[in-house]
Amino acid sequence: MPDLSRPDHLPNRRPDRQPRHPSWLPRQRRGTTPQMIGRYPDYDVLDAVDTWDEATKKVVLARLEPPGPLRFFTPDEEPVLRALCDTALAQDCQPRIPVAEMVDGKLADGKLDGYQYADMPDDPDTWRLVLGGLDHTAVQSYQTGFARCGAAQREAIVAQFAKGRLVGGAWDELNVTRAWSVVMRMMLAAFYSHPWAWNEIGFGGPAYPRGFMRLGGAGKQGAQVREPFEKPGATSEDPVQIVESWER
Amino acid sequence: MGTFWRGILKGAMGPRENDSRYLLDVHSRDLPGEATMARYRDDDEVDLVIVGAGAGGSVLAQRLARRGWRVVIVEAGPFWHPDEDWVSDEAGSHPLYWTQKRIIGGADPIELGKNNSGRGVGGSMVHYAGYTPRFHPSDLSTYTDDGVGADWPIHYEDLRPHYEQVEAELPVAGQDWPWGYPHRYPFAPHPVSAAADRLREGALRCGIEMRVGPVGIVNGTFGNRPHCIYRGYCLQGCKVNAKASPYVTHLPDALAHGVEVRANCMALRVEIAQDTGLARGVVYTTESDGAHRLQRARYVAVAGYSIETPRLLLASVSTRFPHGLCNNADQVGRYIMVQGATQAAGRWPDELRMYKAPPPEISSEQFYETDPDRGFARGFSIQTVSPLPIGWAEHVLADGHWGRALREYMRDYNHWATIGVLNELLPHADNRITLADEADQYGQPVARMDYTLGDNDKANMAYSTKVIIDILDAAEAQDVLTIQRFAHLIGGARMGSSPDHSVVDANQRTWAVPNLFIADGSVCPTQGSANPALTIMALASRLAQQMAGGAAMNNTSRKCSYAV
Repeated sequence: MPDLSRPDHLPNRRPDRQPRHPSWLPRQRRGTTPQMIGRYPDYDVLDAVDTWDEATKKVVLARLEPPGPLRFFTPDEEPVLRALCDTALAQDCQPRIPVAEMVDGKLADGKLDGYQYADMPDDPDTWRLVLGGLDHTAVQSYQTGFARCGAAQREAIVAQFAKGRLVGGAWDELNVTRAWSVVMRMMLAAFYSHPWAWNEIGFGGPAYPRGFMRLGGAGKQGAQVREPFEKPGATSEDPVQIVESWER
Repeated sequence: MGTFWRGILKGAMGPRENDSRYLLDVHSRDLPGEATMARYRDDDEVDLVIVGAGAGGSVLAQRLARRGWRVVIVEAGPFWHPDEDWVSDEAGSHPLYWTQKRIIGGADPIELGKNNSGRGVGGSMVHYAGYTPRFHPSDLSTYTDDGVGADWPIHYEDLRPHYEQVEAELPVAGQDWPWGYPHRYPFAPHPVSAAADRLREGALRCGIEMRVGPVGIVNGTFGNRPHCIYRGYCLQGCKVNAKASPYVTHLPDALAHGVEVRANCMALRVEIAQDTGLARGVVYTTESDGAHRLQRARYVAVAGYSIETPRLLLASVSTRFPHGLCNNADQVGRYIMVQGATQAAGRWPDELRMYKAPPPEISSEQFYETDPDRGFARGFSIQTVSPLPIGWAEHVLADGHWGRALREYMRDYNHWATIGVLNELLPHADNRITLADEADQYGQPVARMDYTLGDNDKANMAYSTKVIIDILDAAEAQDVLTIQRFAHLIGGARMGSSPDHSVVDANQRTWAVPNLFIADGSVCPTQGSANPALTIMALASRLAQQMAGGAAMNNTSRKCSYAV
């Protein structure tokens, strides 16, 4: 485990601007995180569920229910959708946050953001065109559908998508840069609404009616002050040495 | 009152003529008086019908109800029951936003929805961050001073007593304010969080002064409204009743004085009598049965904000107004404005946990006015903000990260603090609301908003971005991520001194229809770089004073001869 007070793990601070392989992270010991990796191995936001108000509890815990079948996307689109969600959010193994189902549910229920770009179709059509476009590019580049491409090939295609550089097929009906923003934002809103993702990043979660008392401003401990239920991030220190130092 | 007494009495003084804080229930967040609210029949000619129960409409209703006016507010969204309807959760707060379809165009399309549009009783102040700065006196004369924007037909002194009254009603907490028209706040500043403290340190090292506040969040207790609990969900609706919105600051008192709030009722047009040219009332449809009804009234005030107000006027077509109500001079929907709201986040070695404490903490208006050395007119303000995980993910995405890189930045969330700017972007005639070809579920044409930045706007945004990144550098941030975005809406039916260049006069009365008023932020000719909520409330408070006293209906007081 590297020293987390230093920013060396952050992509912009690394020579190749690429993140480390996530195997450097500790495995989650308490609760669940996506792919069981995270920076707060002993923190589970769900430990505090008894302190949440009923309305919030209902909304958040519903996200932990087993996801139902897709309602908006067709069986043909499903593999492409899952491949895109896995690649764009780097969910390469179980446990996964069911982003595909969460996106599908939003589109099926028409829970949209309330605006449509004048030079774009509406969000449901944008999603369909994006999935078609990914297949088009995969066939052009690798002679197979997007869902059957290898991880590296999918990442290469999504990297071009992120830069707005895809052309041909369904892409010609879209402003590709805006389409990237539409699909990514919907996926991110799903992923980071899930308590497993909160565990991964050490987010305090809903805090009503309990609230927070220790804000970390002026005071003897400054930013080091902790609520009793907050767990510090994992550090590079060897726990055996720490315990021995207490005993000395 | 001298400084000594102000200090002694800080946090102990309440506003006059507004009992909302005592009417609220300590144990329940429902709007008291909903069950016993006055009900008026559609064919009962009330004194005033208002479209929209937000910052403008609610204040206007509360003030005039206290003067004995019989008032009905027609509101498109629901009547909230916060204990059940609002959640401590980002994604779960979707119903608070105006998510009905709108088309966005122009060279720089503005994202709407959760970013800047509210729906339901209480309006978008239900989910605003809580910053409540005043406009500066210079905002009202940018054309005279700098040759940009427009002059307001009123003076700062016209607004000042209303600023003071609304600040006492919210109540606003903050340090003594040195910028613009220097003033004090009724409540003491909130404690500063670790994240905001780090940013203030950087600003001080750059020679930039930052002050705590001003926020419309109770610090202490205020009647039956409790102290803020610093849970960080201001933008998801305050379940605590600590953050001010009309739902807790004006509507309880309004209901107690006979105002009816008719929720889930979408206004479709302002009905004009063909013989007199006067407004007869508002035609609306209810979500339950879809029937069209006309609420008759002596006066009509539209307070639907910068998109829905122009949309309603443009859709109110008649033989007198073939291009939309009050639009014979082609002014309705024009000069709509947003503020540049670039945010930069910095990374520090220790865990700052920016999700604790209200997102609005400290701000600076040091760069608010024009400085010729900067090479552009007008300026910007600086404010700290604190995105929750979904907001933080959008921030990381905007810096170009996805997949593993994005997950890495997300896992680092607790080490980051965020600072933002609000740029005063200038009004342009071609930034406007029009009606699109599509219709919504009521058959009403949807709004289209076109927006394009000017050169002065771009120069202002570029300069301010550099300033906040300098602050992060001075605070020794280890990494920086920036997102360019926009916030707030204002303008679209501006006030002015001539019917050829504005929609309403100095008293917010439309030039074209003598008994029709506009009572929201769309009347502002310029926007400064202050968050608009407080000013919208102050303008509505002033409008109520002018209407109650009759000055607003006085034709001879208009600065220009009356013309249709």
